Amino acid sequence: MPYGWTGQLLRINLTEGSVTKEPLKMDWARQYIGGRGLGTKYLYEEIDPRCDSLGPENEVIFATGPLTGTYAPTGGRYMVLCKGPLTDAIACSNSGGYWGPELKFAGYDIVILEGKAPKPVYVWINDDQVEVRDAAHVWGKQIEESEDLIRAGTDPQARISGIGPAGESLNRTACVINDKSRAAGRSGVGAAMGAKNCKAIAVRGTGAVQCADPLKFGELVFEAMKAINASPTTSMALRGMGTASTVGFTNTVGILPTNNFQQGQFEHAHAISGQTIAKTVLRRNKGCYSCPIGCARVTEIKPGGKYSGRGEGPEYETIFGLGSDCGVGDLDAVLYTNYLCNQYGVDTISAGGTVAVAMELAERGYIPEDDLSEVGTELKFGNADAVVRCLEMMSYPSGKFSRLLAEGGYRLAEHYGHPELFMGSKKQDFAAYDGRGAQGMGLGYATSNRGACHLRGYSMTLEWFAPQDQKIDPFTPEGKGAVQKNLQDKAAAEDAVGVCTFASFGATQPEQLAPMYNACTGETLSVEEWMTAGDRIWNLERIFNNRAGLSRKDDSLPPRMTREPLNNGAVQNQVVHLEQMLKEYYEVRGWDADGNPKAETLAKLGIE
Amino acid sequence: MKMILAHPQKCVACHLCEGACSFFHEGAFQPTKSRIFVHDFVDEAVYLPVTCFHCEDAPCLSNCPTYAITREADGRVSINDDKCIGCKMCLVACPFSVMGFAEDKHISHNCDLCGGDPQCVKICTYDALEYADIKPIEWMVRMDVAEKPAEG
Repeated sequence: MPYGWTGQLLRINLTEGSVTKEPLKMDWARQYIGGRGLGTKYLYEEIDPRCDSLGPENEVIFATGPLTGTYAPTGGRYMVLCKGPLTDAIACSNSGGYWGPELKFAGYDIVILEGKAPKPVYVWINDDQVEVRDAAHVWGKQIEESEDLIRAGTDPQARISGIGPAGESLNRTACVINDKSRAAGRSGVGAAMGAKNCKAIAVRGTGAVQCADPLKFGELVFEAMKAINASPTTSMALRGMGTASTVGFTNTVGILPTNNFQQGQFEHAHAISGQTIAKTVLRRNKGCYSCPIGCARVTEIKPGGKYSGRGEGPEYETIFGLGSDCGVGDLDAVLYTNYLCNQYGVDTISAGGTVAVAMELAERGYIPEDDLSEVGTELKFGNADAVVRCLEMMSYPSGKFSRLLAEGGYRLAEHYGHPELFMGSKKQDFAAYDGRGAQGMGLGYATSNRGACHLRGYSMTLEWFAPQDQKIDPFTPEGKGAVQKNLQDKAAAEDAVGVCTFASFGATQPEQLAPMYNACTGETLSVEEWMTAGDRIWNLERIFNNRAGLSRKDDSLPPRMTREPLNNGAVQNQVVHLEQMLKEYYEVRGWDADGNPKAETLAKLGIE
Repeated sequence: MKMILAHPQKCVACHLCEGACSFFHEGAFQPTKSRIFVHDFVDEAVYLPVTCFHCEDAPCLSNCPTYAITREADGRVSINDDKCIGCKMCLVACPFSVMGFAEDKHISHNCDLCGGDPQCVKICTYDALEYADIKPIEWMVRMDVAEKPAEG
């Protein structure tokens, strides 16, 4: 068995119900590290990028990295890859929890789902015993009940990753959820799984993940743990208040997107902030596997109000998606809709974005009364009932309007003739930072291979969060192309190796991560080669997208970002200077003016 | 004597302790071979790290038919691998179900305090595990109990 990787791949043909075990292509593993990179390589080699994302020819790949299952800080991540139903581009959604490590312990780095099951099934991986089982009894069930039922039918210690009603009904914002509330959220990966009639993958693993140089690895890990505990970002902000700790800051600065990005400050921001959560609804912290940070919030709505429930969340992005972006400033309502999203299996960012654009379309009178009547409550900003109702409609679509909601925000806005009101890129909704107040984020949204995403090139860390001496000007477009490239490559390598990007705030910069990867796998990558691997992953994703029919025109932002200035807080009279940044970005990437990687760039990266 | 004390209210169920334990003892990451376990009751939001308590009147020790389990000078309960016949009486006897069994070696194993530097305690960034003398522990446990109603 190779170190780090298990060296084994599980291929499940759902059409035939057959299971094959293959040796992992180790030359690919070395080139693309694992997780996001290796998964992309398999996807790129095995499917036609022009295929129908909801057709049987699409694949859904669950991929772990070499550090998944080790005690590297946050070494518990896995990725879900496919052609994205929301974006028609490469989809690659990351999740924590316990599922990824369990898959490694069962003896597999990657699971590939192919074809389409003739009737609903789930996959049961019990170490080396793998079965495709009938899922009639869980089909239609919400996430928690489905997990409990599958666990009851398999092993009390099984870890489960699967879809809810939204994924089953091919909602393009559906996610894959593991361990009841950790989501591989974006790009509609849940719909791709639903289209395969596959409800879930349950795993129980009792094996081991090996390490090449235990002494060195231990030394590096303990050093990183110390750094994480010493960093205020990881040990105080994220551990103390979770990602929600960001609300106060972005609102003060003026980049907390509100009412479908019409404003950058929200009058009720304090009510839905990390501080308020910590003081009111927080039950306790939770950590994903091997996580020394523990940013997850286990919360419960206090009894006596309109809503009730308990679960995990909300994250910062959820507070924006279901809160400020829809104008909802009632914390209980945000919690409740967050729990609903977890139960239905929809991405809180894209579901929130879809509702927000629907609200703006409705307020501007672009949606006929007939369609609006399906909602049953006024579709306007600030109406939490409308959010609840829309989430239900998009997860159990029946009428015309609910089916449009299930198509996601872009297709909804396009249907009503106003795609410009959709706030996103490549048909995927923006995350919770207004790009007009952070040029790098604007460029990052436009160039992210999986559609608008804050984590692909998280330049907020440099443009706003960094200490004064490391901070770069958020308003200048100059140099942002190079900044984004560097951050994108860094994040690609992190996602590939199987750790969470949050660990890098405290400890695991490439300078720490590359040696950790080396000690675990026995490879000998320099930091430079590590970053090149990230670059390679990014370019392979890009070629996938270009072959799927995407091009420069898709590296775009809605006119609200590029033409309507934002005037809030510290952000005054700002638009995203996209064209200027794109030019620089393509140059530093080694791409031509149409956004195609040049032959020499690919040759340098070793991509054929 | 020192012991490993768990503060379940500080635990976040990250299972780092299991990784550290199995890595130290087995040279690989394998939670099923860890000598410490985190029982995570996700629905109830209760996370409970449990390891060998090195009981004063240890049922594993008194039930071992081959006298493979003995008490060391430092107070801990240890298993002599050569004498262990793999009968699993100790597993049955342990009231906390923390006695482990290595199926590949066909013998039992328990927490050995890593020779005085327990890896689980060392890796826990949440201070949910503590390696401390028994006297102050009495006090700490009382404080934990006292804090519970205070937290409401």
